[in-house]
Amino acid sequence: MINLENISFDHCIKCTVCTIYCPVARETHLFPGPKQSGPDTERLRIKDPYLVDDSLKYCSNCKRCEIACPSGVKIADLIQVAKFQHLKKKIRVRDFFMSRTDLVGRLATFMSFLTNFVINLLPVKFFMDVILKIPFGRSFPKYASGTFHGWAKKKMPDQSKFRTKAVYFHGCYVNYNNHQLGKDLVDVLNAMNIGVITENEKCCGVPLIANGYIDKAKKNAAHNIQALSRALGEEGTRIVSTSSSCSYALKYEYANLLELNNATIYDKVDYITKYLYSQFETGNIPPMKPVNLRAAYHSPCHLERMGGVIYTINVLKEIPGLDLVILHSECCGIAGTYGFKKEYYEISQSIGANLFRNIEKADVEVVITDCETCKMQIEMNTPYEVLHPVQVLARAIKNNTR
Amino acid sequence: MNYDCLIIGGGISGLTCGIKCVSEGLRCGILSSGMSALHFSSGSIDLYGYHTNRKIVYQPLDYIERLIIPEGRHPYSKCGIDMIREGISFFSETLEKEGLVLYHNNDYNHFHVSTMGTVKPTYLSQRSVFNDSIKEGFKKRSKIAILNFSGFRDFYPELAAENLRKNSLFSLFDIITGEIELPLFRRTEKNPHEFRSMDIARIFDSEKYLPGIANQIVNASGGALFVGLPAFIGINNFTRIYQRLSELTGMLIYEIPTLPPSILGMRIDDALKSRFAALGGEFIAGDTVNGGEIVNGVLDHIHTENHGSTRLRSKFFVLSSGSFFSRGLVSEFNMIREPVFNLKVAASEDRREWYSPSFFQKESHPFLEYGVVTNNTLNPEDTQGATVENLFCTGAILPHYNPIREGCGGGVAISTGYFAAKKIIEGCRS
Repeated sequence: MINLENISFDHCIKCTVCTIYCPVARETHLFPGPKQSGPDTERLRIKDPYLVDDSLKYCSNCKRCEIACPSGVKIADLIQVAKFQHLKKKIRVRDFFMSRTDLVGRLATFMSFLTNFVINLLPVKFFMDVILKIPFGRSFPKYASGTFHGWAKKKMPDQSKFRTKAVYFHGCYVNYNNHQLGKDLVDVLNAMNIGVITENEKCCGVPLIANGYIDKAKKNAAHNIQALSRALGEEGTRIVSTSSSCSYALKYEYANLLELNNATIYDKVDYITKYLYSQFETGNIPPMKPVNLRAAYHSPCHLERMGGVIYTINVLKEIPGLDLVILHSECCGIAGTYGFKKEYYEISQSIGANLFRNIEKADVEVVITDCETCKMQIEMNTPYEVLHPVQVLARAIKNNTR
Repeated sequence: MNYDCLIIGGGISGLTCGIKCVSEGLRCGILSSGMSALHFSSGSIDLYGYHTNRKIVYQPLDYIERLIIPEGRHPYSKCGIDMIREGISFFSETLEKEGLVLYHNNDYNHFHVSTMGTVKPTYLSQRSVFNDSIKEGFKKRSKIAILNFSGFRDFYPELAAENLRKNSLFSLFDIITGEIELPLFRRTEKNPHEFRSMDIARIFDSEKYLPGIANQIVNASGGALFVGLPAFIGINNFTRIYQRLSELTGMLIYEIPTLPPSILGMRIDDALKSRFAALGGEFIAGDTVNGGEIVNGVLDHIHTENHGSTRLRSKFFVLSSGSFFSRGLVSEFNMIREPVFNLKVAASEDRREWYSPSFFQKESHPFLEYGVVTNNTLNPEDTQGATVENLFCTGAILPHYNPIREGCGGGVAISTGYFAAKKIIEGCRS
């Protein structure tokens, strides 16, 4: 049976504009580009899986092809679905662990000191490179001690005094690596008289989708849809996320790729800056003092795809004393777990090279971006610290209370 | 989101309008659904090219002033000659600030060569298509070499040469064709079918192989004064690469547009977008406007696919969503409509009248003249027939002109976009 779910490939007029804007096709001719891997070959694969060309594994799912397409073809979605429907899964230990962020996160945060120490030992890095095919040159995010979820349950300041509340989907990165970002979000929202609710959430599924573990991704997604719907409670409550890719998954990939019904949360999920901006618009702007900071802003691909960049920029513009350089929008190359794999590492690095050069030229003190893996990539390739917009806001608010 | 001016459509018209608005300090956003028709254009700006009898128009501004403006319905009539002049110079200055200089022939049209080797009148061109040395060189009636890189399948020198030889303008030229090798071509062996103009433009941009390429050009040209190459002499560093290649070869280098995507058009797209961003404009890419609410002749807000239930508000709106190709207009079985606001459209109700019997008919096709009906200040009518005061329609969505038959698409897009911007600036100040 031919699946007629996504027949947007029929709207492709073969103009090749997507391929022009594909960062992967620009750097390697091993990838024939989104037009060929997407709509061109979809009409063949749809009839006979024998005609699948495994070059589609090179797609990093940045979704810039969909932004560029003048004919509304969901090119990246076509490629992702083809990937996990047709490509033979090489059950690699690496892919398994890389996509099980909850499992690995819980283990790693249990003895975070040891994890962070061991992962940077030269023999370990060498072993990972040769056996696991995780590139030697890649640096890893530090693991925190304990989870953000644990902190929120036990140590988060009392939120019951706030009438307005937001459900916070913190995501794995805040949960296992960067508690501070989560705590900063609580500070920012509390300063705006908004309480924070956290739920017992699972990994949003982005790394699972990227590594082809669709059944597991579906399970996680179903769990999250249910948990978040339950938490919504009162009318007007929103779900916010500090990760651009998590929010993209909750809103779009659950329905488009995993074919789940996410209608109960679809119109309630906001990437955090959209929520903040809508609050700012009603006059709910927290008291702030100048941060005196010169920063470059890098817009992540998935936030571009969601149309969320304007909200981040407009939130940042409200922060006093922030001298902002907006970088030309381009992919940093990491694309989630893509840049952590040896076979794509060089491509990933060369995709980002121009962005790194532009950051160096911008003559700033820090870089601001919305995405945790963009942060890892930029911190590895430039000498700058990378902050989340919420962290800069939190700084301005703390300056005020000081 | 509260804007002074929100533009639906990020093509040449919307960007011209947006750049003018932000340069006057307005808060301006542009919503764009996929890349614009500039990616499929020649990269030259036509003002007015042909009389109704297909004769060439030599002085377009003069022609527009005397014969088109008095006619009344043409978009040019609504702008007026001063606005057209002002808009065109604003457009040139804007690109020049981004390092892309456009040349014109002292108010006369000049000719440019298409990928098929046909010759078309146009008003503004990039340096590789028209400049004083090309004009002087042309008078010498000497030898032309049209070259391609072997393996590039979006351009056919023999086809272009054959058509040029048939043209009386080129009857005294000796036209030869040839092929040269690109050093990096081997890199693409895996997927040669995706070897596009952009891949080669990036190789030019890197500057690495320029002396080698220049050598091959000279060797393959047999002492020709002109060398015609498919348009891919750099994208980000075009001006510099063009200069260096001219010096290295000592020849007059001429760029011929290729099959899409067009590097010549993309240079303009890049320059306009980067100017808009530099002035603080907000370009919102990859989103589709689904509709809006018009109350008492005022468009209150619009909503889009990505912004869900969030309403985007603005004092003024511009609809520059293009023609059929860009989905600014859609054709259904028995009607033509404007999909965003369902505005009143001028179009024949009889489907048989929409098109000409043959595809390349000289008179072009009637559907190209269909579009959204506006008053003299480019404001459309809603479904109830009320004029929408704060919405302006610009560019290819307008009716009563034929960009192909008249050769005026770029000029109309720029001058109506500029005209709307002036009206909006006026409106914001009062």
